[in-house]
Order: sequence, then C-alpha cells, then structure tokens
Amino acid sequence: MRIAGHLFMGLSALVLALPIVVVSGAALNGGRSMFFPPQDPTLTRFGEFFVSEPIWTEALMNSIIVALGAATLAVLLAWPIAYLLWSQNSPLSRVLAGLGSLPFAVPPIVFGVGLGFYWGFLGGLGALWAGIVSHAVLLMALPLVTISIGLQSIDRAHLDAAATMGATEAVTFRTVVAPQTVPYTISGFFFVLVLSFNEFIVMFFVSASAYATVTLQIFNSLRNGYTPTMAVAAITFIVVSILVFSAVARWGDLPRLMGADQSRN
Amino acid sequence: MTLAQDIDLPRSKSGSARAPLVSRGAMLRWGLALLTFVLCVVPFMLVFAISFGRKIEGAAWGWDFTFENYQRFFVGAMWPDDVTFLYLQQLGYSFWYAVIASCLAVLTALPFTLLLTRLSRRAQAMWLVFILSSLSLSEVFIVMGWDILLSNNSGLPALFKSTGLTQWLKDVGWFQTLRDWGLANPRNVKFKTSDFATILTMSYLVWPYAVILLYPPLSRLDPSLREAARTMGAGNWQVIRTVILPSVRLPLFGTTLLLFVFLLGTYVAVTVFADPSKHTTAVAIYSNVRGANLNAPFGATQAVILLISASVCLVLGHKLNQWAEKRA
Repeated sequence: MRIAGHLFMGLSALVLALPIVVVSGAALNGGRSMFFPPQDPTLTRFGEFFVSEPIWTEALMNSIIVALGAATLAVLLAWPIAYLLWSQNSPLSRVLAGLGSLPFAVPPIVFGVGLGFYWGFLGGLGALWAGIVSHAVLLMALPLVTISIGLQSIDRAHLDAAATMGATEAVTFRTVVAPQTVPYTISGFFFVLVLSFNEFIVMFFVSASAYATVTLQIFNSLRNGYTPTMAVAAITFIVVSILVFSAVARWGDLPRLMGADQSRN
Repeated sequence: MTLAQDIDLPRSKSGSARAPLVSRGAMLRWGLALLTFVLCVVPFMLVFAISFGRKIEGAAWGWDFTFENYQRFFVGAMWPDDVTFLYLQQLGYSFWYAVIASCLAVLTALPFTLLLTRLSRRAQAMWLVFILSSLSLSEVFIVMGWDILLSNNSGLPALFKSTGLTQWLKDVGWFQTLRDWGLANPRNVKFKTSDFATILTMSYLVWPYAVILLYPPLSRLDPSLREAARTMGAGNWQVIRTVILPSVRLPLFGTTLLLFVFLLGTYVAVTVFADPSKHTTAVAIYSNVRGANLNAPFGATQAVILLISASVCLVLGHKLNQWAEKRA
C-alpha cells in the first residue's frame, strides 16, 4: 500500500511535469522548429527572448508592468475590504467581500467580455493601465482571502492588551495588526503577480490587440506554428512561479495558507 | 470573543465625541462600496444590457431592447420558418467537456491529496510549491505542451510509430477500435483533433486546482478515526470507503462543481484540440465579440446564458448540499 501510494504520487508528478518538460526541452533547439528531444542544442533562443527580438522583449516588459501593477492595486483594493470584514463583519462588509470575489468566481471569459465593453465606454480599451486595473479586479479575491486568513490569525489577547493600554484604533493597527499580517499581504501580492503573469483570456479581450503580453504573443504565434523562442517564455514563467511560491513557502506558512489544519504535524 | 468585540469601543467613543470622524469613516466605507460596485459589478451589467442590443450592418451595434438574440440562441434566427439548435448544441459541448474533465480531475486528485496530507509538513510545502506552480502556468503554455506531445509529426504518435507500438496495436486488432473512436487515421494513431485530447488537456488544466481545493478538508480529517477503524480490523479499502469518503463527500462534490463552472469558459484548449464541429459556447462568444462574426450583442447573449447556466449549477449544487446535510 505504501509503495503503491508513492508510485501513484510519482506518476501524478510525472504527468504533471510532462508537458512542462517537453516545452522546456524544446527551447534548446538550434533550428527554427520545435523538436523533442531537441536537435543541435543551443542557448541562443534565450538571448532572442530576453535581449534581441523586440516582439518578445516588449511583450515581456508589458507582462511585468501589468503583473506588478495589478498585484499592487489588488492588494490596495483588498486590504480595506478584508479589514472592514474582520473588524466589523457588518452586512455591508460581507457584501463587499462577496462582490470583490465575484469576478474570480465566474467563468473568466464572461468577465473578459464585460470588461471589453466597459473599457470601450470608458476609453481604456487597448491601454496598458486598463489591463492593469482589469487584472487587479479579476484577482482581488486572492489577497482578500490571504489577508483575511492573516487577520484571523491575530491573537485577540494582543488587541485586548493594546486597548487596555489606551491605544487608539490607528495605533493598534500600526503596532499590532499591520506587522502580524505582513507575510499574508505579501503572499496575496505574489499570488496575484504570478496569476496575472499567466492570465490569458481577460487580457485577450481588454488589450484589443493594441499591445501584447507574453501569453497573448504566444497565442498569436500559435497559428504560425511554434518557435523555440516561445518555449523560452514558458521556462521563464515556470521558473518565476517556482521561485515566488518557494519564497512564500520559505517566509510564510504555505500549508496554513492553503488551509491545512494548524494543530497537527 | 465578546472581549474582542469590545475592542471596537474606542472607535465608537471617539465617533460620538467627534462627529466629523464618523462621517469620514462612513464616507470612506461608502466610497469603497461604490468603487467595488463600479469595478466588479458594472462590467457584468453591461454584458447583460448589451445582450438585448441589436447588430447594425456595416457598423458595430446599437442599444435596443429586443429578445431576438435570445430567440436566435434557442431556436435560430430564422424561427419559426426554420429551426436550428446549433447554439444549444455548442452549450451542450461546453457542458459535456466540462463535466467529464472535472470528474476525471477530482477522481484522480482525491487519492493524490489524501497521500499528500500524510506527508511531513516540510514535504507538503514542497509538493504545494510544485502544484501551485503548475496551477498558475498559463493555459496557453499547457496547451502548447500537450500540443507538442499529441501532434502527429512529433510527440506520442511519432513515438508510437518508432517503437513499433502502432504495428503491435494493428497486430492485436485494437487499432480498429481506436479508429472507431476517432483516435487513429489509417496509418497511425492521431490525437488531434479529438475529444480525448480536449478532455485530457482540460482535466490537466484544473487538476492542481482540485488538489488545492481538496487539501483543506482532507488535511482536517481526524487521523484517530482512521486508526480506530484500523484497530477494529478494517482493511485499507474499507477504511477509505467507510470512514474517509463519507466525511469528504460534500467537499468532493463542491470541488467538482467549482471546477466544472471554471471549465465552462475554457477557450484555448477547445480551439486547439476540439474538432470545429464540436466547438463550445466560449469559442462562439469570442468569434462574435472580437473575431470574425462581429456581432457583439449576440456574443453578450451567449455570455449571459453561459453565466446563467453556471449560476444554476452552483445554486442547484448548494441546494443539494443543504438537502444532503439535513438528511445526514
């Protein structure tokens, strides 16, 4: 049974890794087409992606700007809602939390269509800032959850102590609440960062082909066939994801963030 | 708990003493509410409003209040002279792919997650990093990876041929079965385009989500229950069937439902792997709103119907959950 269990986990990991390995391997191809295993292995494709081909460098720049902007904005939007929900738990705050999670809960293509019309009216269609706001709203649900988990983990005794010693809400917030929730805020930030980096369908609608992020550029190139340069993009993305989540696991409590039981292990 | 609520005291005290502060707090609160509404709700309202609009030939579209788009979705534009169920059929394919892929993902993720929760905390964190990385990996990359793996000139079909597996299949006679299922052409196996490739990729797409969603309830299972059953002589399979499955029945069902709703909107995997005659509503929405058809109101109608179908499934699932809980 034990061995069978390990085998099953190993097999799952293998299937999970298979397409990633294939794409990564294909990045090493010397020629213009994708082969697996790679032929005439070389690292020139990495140079093309990061330095010399403007299509890819611009797309990468756009992806980074959108991801960083969206992550910052999403945290800024989620903080007051999560704080309101935690400190008051009023009907209004619950409605706000529900509405904030709405875009993430429905099939993304519907929200994408809606945002397409929305920015069409507001004049943001095809502008990078509209893309940033769109991703922030779409992914706001993630920092909302992580920050809420963080706020709930604050020991109420600390708050009582602060109140007994006459601290105002602002002082309590600065000295007790904020420091204890920093890791959770950062986790939320990183979740948005990575998901925005990889998001496709909403960006597909709001960019209106005026600019391309890396995922859009790859989709555009799908029709003309693959080039090994696209595989470099995939490697970059998976490496960024692994680094970010490792950081969260290293400095935060990943099993707890994912909802594991605290009391055991 | 009551003490904690008293923390709010300083705020309300300062509020009664200095009235402007309260109104500023209230203003901030309502400002936040307005912002949330404008950003999260208005886009959906626009889709709904535009779904009643009308396409204007040679231009884009105009506001209107007509049910023509909805009629077209259910019985076709020419009704009552001519009836077509093309759009309903597309919705049917959306459901078909999503149902199978989400069930497949949950069924395979369940044993995996169960094993995961029995590892040490450190090992769990490492697995979670791996799972989360693959979860966040873009649909585009996943489709690209499976496309290389499943395409006819490279990937698995080429591997089948070069290792002689194709020949062996032909010798055994299973090749004909594969052909009947549409998974082979006369010379070799082929996976593009097929339902198999579509469902495999969609299932792969949500598999990490299934693990992440099943992880909390499974990691909260009380190990003493399992040990008690063991002590009383229950075998492995019996423990799973009588202790574990009943206690995670609800999260299992809820996870399947969430993944199903998520998969209803899959776009890239369907465009690449599904046969054009089996394309889904999501693909039709795109081609109406941005693509070749340029009929934004009809695209909006399809989006509204997709959203309503998803909501109905969620509500029904919720009701079923409540009903099951009451009975339990």
